[in-house]
This record gives sequence, structure tokens and C-alpha cells, in this order.
Amino acid sequence: MKVSRRDLLLGTAGLTAGIFFTPVPWKVLDDVSIWTQNWPWIPQPARGPVTTKLASCTLCASGCALRVRMAAGYPVGISGNASHPLTKGALCPLGFAAHQLNWHPARLREVRHRGRTASWDEARAAFEKASAEGPIAVVDGRSGRAASTVLQSFADKHNGTYEVVLTAEERALSPYAQWVGVPVSALGYDLENARTIVSFGAPLLDGWGVPGRFTHLWSERAASASDPQLRLIQIEPAFSRTAAAAWHWVPTCQGTEALLAASLAKVLVEEHLVPAQGPLPPASLTEAAAQTGLTPTAIRDLAYSMVERRPTLVIGSDDNPAIAALNVLLGSLGTPGGIVKKPTTPSVTLQISAKNTPPRAVLLDSSVPWEYVPASGVEVFRFAAWDGGGNRADWLLPSPGFLEETTDLPTPPTSARAVYGIAPSLLTASAQLGTAADFLQQIDATLPTVEQTIHARCEAIFRSHRGSVCGEKSSPITGFESAVKFEEALRSGAVWLDESPAATPLKCALKTWPTNNPAHTTGNWANTWAPPVMPTLAAKLYRESSLRETPQRSQS
Amino acid sequence: MSARYGMVIDLDRCTGCGACMVACAVENNVPTSPVRATDRTGLTPMLVHQVSNGVEGAGHREVFVPVACMHCAHETPCVSVCPQQAVEVDKETGIVMQIPQRCLGCRYCMTACPYHARYFNWWDPSWPPGMEKTLNPGVATRMRGVVEKCNLCHARLHTAMEKAAAAGKKQIDMADYVPACVEACPTNAILFGDLANPDDPVSQAARSPEAFRLLARLGTEPKTYYKSRQAWVRALAERSPNGHVTEAQHV
Repeated sequence: MKVSRRDLLLGTAGLTAGIFFTPVPWKVLDDVSIWTQNWPWIPQPARGPVTTKLASCTLCASGCALRVRMAAGYPVGISGNASHPLTKGALCPLGFAAHQLNWHPARLREVRHRGRTASWDEARAAFEKASAEGPIAVVDGRSGRAASTVLQSFADKHNGTYEVVLTAEERALSPYAQWVGVPVSALGYDLENARTIVSFGAPLLDGWGVPGRFTHLWSERAASASDPQLRLIQIEPAFSRTAAAAWHWVPTCQGTEALLAASLAKVLVEEHLVPAQGPLPPASLTEAAAQTGLTPTAIRDLAYSMVERRPTLVIGSDDNPAIAALNVLLGSLGTPGGIVKKPTTPSVTLQISAKNTPPRAVLLDSSVPWEYVPASGVEVFRFAAWDGGGNRADWLLPSPGFLEETTDLPTPPTSARAVYGIAPSLLTASAQLGTAADFLQQIDATLPTVEQTIHARCEAIFRSHRGSVCGEKSSPITGFESAVKFEEALRSGAVWLDESPAATPLKCALKTWPTNNPAHTTGNWANTWAPPVMPTLAAKLYRESSLRETPQRSQS
Repeated sequence: MSARYGMVIDLDRCTGCGACMVACAVENNVPTSPVRATDRTGLTPMLVHQVSNGVEGAGHREVFVPVACMHCAHETPCVSVCPQQAVEVDKETGIVMQIPQRCLGCRYCMTACPYHARYFNWWDPSWPPGMEKTLNPGVATRMRGVVEKCNLCHARLHTAMEKAAAAGKKQIDMADYVPACVEACPTNAILFGDLANPDDPVSQAARSPEAFRLLARLGTEPKTYYKSRQAWVRALAERSPNGHVTEAQHV
């Protein structure tokens, strides 16, 4: 049969028209669109069994309890663990994306010496040489851990010094520690029993202390009420997040906080709002009004608000003694709803050794914040998981990152009750990573190990028969058969909570109103809150929402 | 009986921490964006706006307004304009679903959405090397050229439905279905539940005299309610998010 040109054209046209009466084009379109969703270069989630494990956050000293969703051996999601007695399931925003930090572009994966790649052996040899030539200063950013014991032991045995970099919250407690004669770690804020909280710039709702603790308290007792059970008065020049949520915001001029505190104290005493005892400030209300930008009536009203609902707790953002002295005047030292002394965790002790000999070298633990600048002219060995500003260190030594290290969690600063937990390691750290404690132990094998110290602490707490264990449900410590079982519970995400301390009156040595106040204490915390290295996703979201300023280096 | 999932966000409880944004992005495998990305070109299925009353000095007040897809129930604007049927309203749940496989990338829906709650994937999704290991296996990644938005953590709804089916139940237990933003909120500012159930706490909160909806005058019946005891905040509800809110967020 001969096929003519006409037949060919007819056949082609018929086929073209007919194909639209079949599912073929629609199926092809569907397949193409699905195929284009799966380009090989587009990352796809790994498949694997999904499990949930309990862990603790180690990004700061708060030790917030986490529920970590794991898939194919990696963390894929984080939420808070509501059974934790302090955090009550709340986390700061960084915690939700913290599992991505291990793959952050700024992650340290190799030893670096002044910008070039080096080896652990070279670092160790350099440290041993420095140690032989002079004293070593060992600096810790989070004292009271088992690892801190190793650092401290090394300093003691090798004629060095052990120093602790205090957080802003701990610094705010340091005037009381000095007046009462106890270590800063023994003091805490009894937020739960306070009815009025006066904050001089402390970012109470923006990452202060244990983030979930005050947030939860504010949410239960202060939010959504025109006359709240808990009154939060925020004294701060800038309208911060805490000021936005406060019952009353008092805008003052920058640097006049000490003067305002003194004038408030004067009103409190002169108008017999507090018993006329304790230190009296040499302040003038007119002068204070002129400098703070408030009217004398506003200062007087503020003083009255402070005592309208007692107990009143004054919280400073730093170690300003005038602000701390207000608590002394208000009788909020050693009383419920004030600054309280808490019993220490058994076996957890801290001795800060201070020697005047200038060190030959400084070893900075990975917990030391990047803002800490060691003395010039000394060799700096800095442990860090992320490079937050490595040009300040001669040696950069890579440390385990998030969920890569087992560490214990002593009582966080500001807590009024002692707690103890163990943050388990859910990821295997690379062999190229090491902690400061391991590093020192390789140099001096006689030092106690972190694991030994954790065992000893669990044993001591178990033998004290004090407190309870908060896991999926709370149970008294006396319900555990042995210290081993107790330690197992802690390693699986439970937290030991000490009994509520009885109010211990604190004898205060402050006799005269403090005049050595710093020029200014409050700053715009909202803009300085971001750490040098943020989870990539959190940095992106804050950048795109303009909610916070993020550091340029975390942009990727 | 069909459910009508929705939220009530108490603005007096929101501290603007951004935990809801971060938890949402982690749950839904939202990728990183180039540094030049803005609040319109980046991907922020949940976006917290900062809004002020415009008063200077001690009378100054601010609230934070988390905005995600409102899951409009009536004449849903994005559904009616989509030429690809890539947006559907699930009759069983009331959730407005975005189906990326069908999306053509024309962005009509973004223009139609009065809340600016839809985002376009301008770039191929990417993560720093190795970070793809942390992707949520319950949610597929999307590609460049499609629109996406909040789907009320649909993967979590599926998990809850599977659990209910395994137990031989027809209805899910609401404790098993909590969107990531609701779970993350440290002040419990976001209530989530079934608006069709009059006994549900979210349904009761939505009937509070302090409750309101953004741009309610448009008649799209959004299923996200807000709540505030401050009158100036309630008065803002009828203003366009593209006007006052975006100006104020740079305060």
C-alpha cells in the first residue's frame, strides 16, 4: 500500500488530536512535575527509624531539658522536656535549631596554630613547654562541672591559677556575695515567691538566667492581666522585649541607674515605706530627677509601687552595688521572694585560686565566651567547637559540639534550688575533637577523669538522701535502689532537684551606701544578645524578620 | 464530623522571642537563604511582626504579631486564583493545603493572599555541607520555583492519624497533633484546636470579646484568631499587613 503525503499528514493530525483523548499527556505532565521536584542536587531527608531521646542543652549554663527526635542516627528535631523542674518545657529560640550547629560553616574541625593547620601532638608539646617555663592560667566559663574539677586540679598541681569567667547574672549576685561572705554560686533568686520584681535593665524575658523559668512564671502570673499577680517593673533606657511585656516600663537616661536606685532608697526611708535601718543614700531627689529624665513624682510613685506588693525583688543587669543595696533596704536578703542562699550540691565545690604571678600561658575552656580577652603577651590555648574569633588565640583546639559530649550540669546561676543533671552524648564526636579536660589528662594522667567525678557526685547525692528525681514522673531519691540506678536515671535525661531550702537569714555587712558604682550598667541587650555563632536557620530567620540583629559571620 | 483546625494567638503573652519561627522552619525543612534575602524573598512560613502604638516616651507600647497562613474558610483567595489546582481546602480538616508538585510558580496566590503569608522559592534549597542529615524525614524538601506556606504541620497530623488508625479509632487525639509553633511557644501564647468543637479551649477563646481576626472585613473567615486586652492592638486588625505592620517592625 502506497502512503501518500496526504495520508501521512492526516495520520499525524489524527494522532495528535487523538492523544489528547488518552491519559498520556496528563500522566507525562504529572510525572515531569514530580520529577522536577526531585532533582538529584536537591537534598532529601535521610530515611530511618525515628526515635525520641531525652537530652540537655549545653549551649549555656542553664542546661535546659530537651526531647530530641532522632532519625537515621542524627537529630532532626528538638523540643522542650516539660518534666524539667526549672525550664518546664520551655527553650530559648536557639535551642530549637541547635542540632544544626555541628554542621555550621564556622565549625572547627582541626587544630590551628596562628592560622595554619597543626596537630594535637604539636599543641600538646607546645603546652608542655609553656607549662615547664612558667605558671599556666586555666580559665573556665562554667564552673562546677566535673570537667571544671579536672581544670582546677591541673592548675593546683602545676602551680597555676584557676579562674572563672562569671556570667552577667552571676556578676549581678557578686555584691551580695561580698557583703554576706558566701560564694556567688551559693546565692540565687527566689523568683517564684516574689510579688513585685524590679529589673534594672536585666533582660528577664530575653534569655536571662534559665530562659524557661521566668518566662513560665511571667506567663502564668503576669501575662494577659491588667492587675497581675506578679508585677514586673522594667527600668531601662531602651524599649526592650522585657519592657514591652512589663507591667510598668520606666524609661531612664543611660548611666543613671545607680542614682535612681539611691533616690528610690531615699524615698523609701524618708517616707517610712521601709524600716529606717541599713545604709542611707546621700541622694537628692531633684538632682536624680534632673539626671534620670524622670520627674520627682514619677520617682516617688515608683518607690510606692515597689512596696505596694511585697515581697519585692530587685534584679540588676550587672554588678552595680547601688542596685543590690536596694534589696538590703527592702529586707529582701535571705527572705522568701528575695535573694536566698541555697544548699550546695553534695560533692560539688568550687575553689577559685587567685595568684598574682603573671602566667606564661592561658588555657581557655570551650565554655569561656569569645568576648573574654586574656592578658597580652601570653600564649593562648583556646578550646572551641566553633570559630567565634580565633585571631585572639595562638592555638585553636577543636572541641566536641552540640550533643557530642557527655557532661554534667550543675545548678545554673540564678536558681534558688540546687539541681544536678547529666547531658548525654547522642552523637559520636570525630577523633579530631577533644576537650580541655581530656587534653590536660593526657599531659598529667594522675588527674581525676570526668567520668570518675560524675560517678563520685552521683554517689554523694544518692547518699545525701535529699531531694527528688524529675524524669517522666517525679520520684524521691530514696526510691532508688542504688547510686548506679540513680546515675542511670540521670543519664537517661532525668534531673535531680534538691529540697526547697529553708529561708536562711543572711547577715549583711553593708553599713554605708555604696558609692563605687559603675558609670552605666544597662545596655541594649536585645541587640547584643546574639552569640558569635548562631544556628544557621535561626540567623536566617532573624535576619529576614528584622526581629534581632545577627552577627555577619553567622550568615551563610 | 469534619474538624476545623485553627489557632488563637494571645498577643499579650507573646514576647517576640521567635521560637515559633525557628521551630516551624526546622519542622518543615525550610532551607537557608542567601544573605540578600528579605522578609519577602526569603522563606518564613511563620513571621513575627513588631508593631508599635506610635507613641513616644513612657506611653510607648509594642506587641509582637506572629503571622502565618490564616487558612481562610470562605472563598479562600489563593484557591480561587490558582490555575493549577495546587491549593486545596481539605474538607475534613479545614486546612488550606499547598501542593508543590502541581505548582507552576505563577505566584497569583501570593498576590491574592491579603496576609502575605505565602513565599516563593527563589533559590534551590541548600544547606551547609552535612546539615542535610538534620532534615525532618516527615517532610519533603521543595524545589526552586514553587510557592509554599504554613500547612499546620500536616506531617504531624498524618502521624496522629496513623496512630489513631493503629488504635482502631476514627478521631485523632488532639494531644497527638500539636503544630511545631504551638509546641515551641514558651509562654503558651498560641492555642491550637478544633474550632468546630464548641467545648474545645480554642473554640472558647475564639469567642472571647478580646478575640479578633486580621482583616475580618474581607469576609474570608480566617481560622487564625488573635487576642489582646489592649484596644489599640484590636484596632490594628483591620489595617493591611503591608501598611502599618511592615513599617513598624523596623522600629
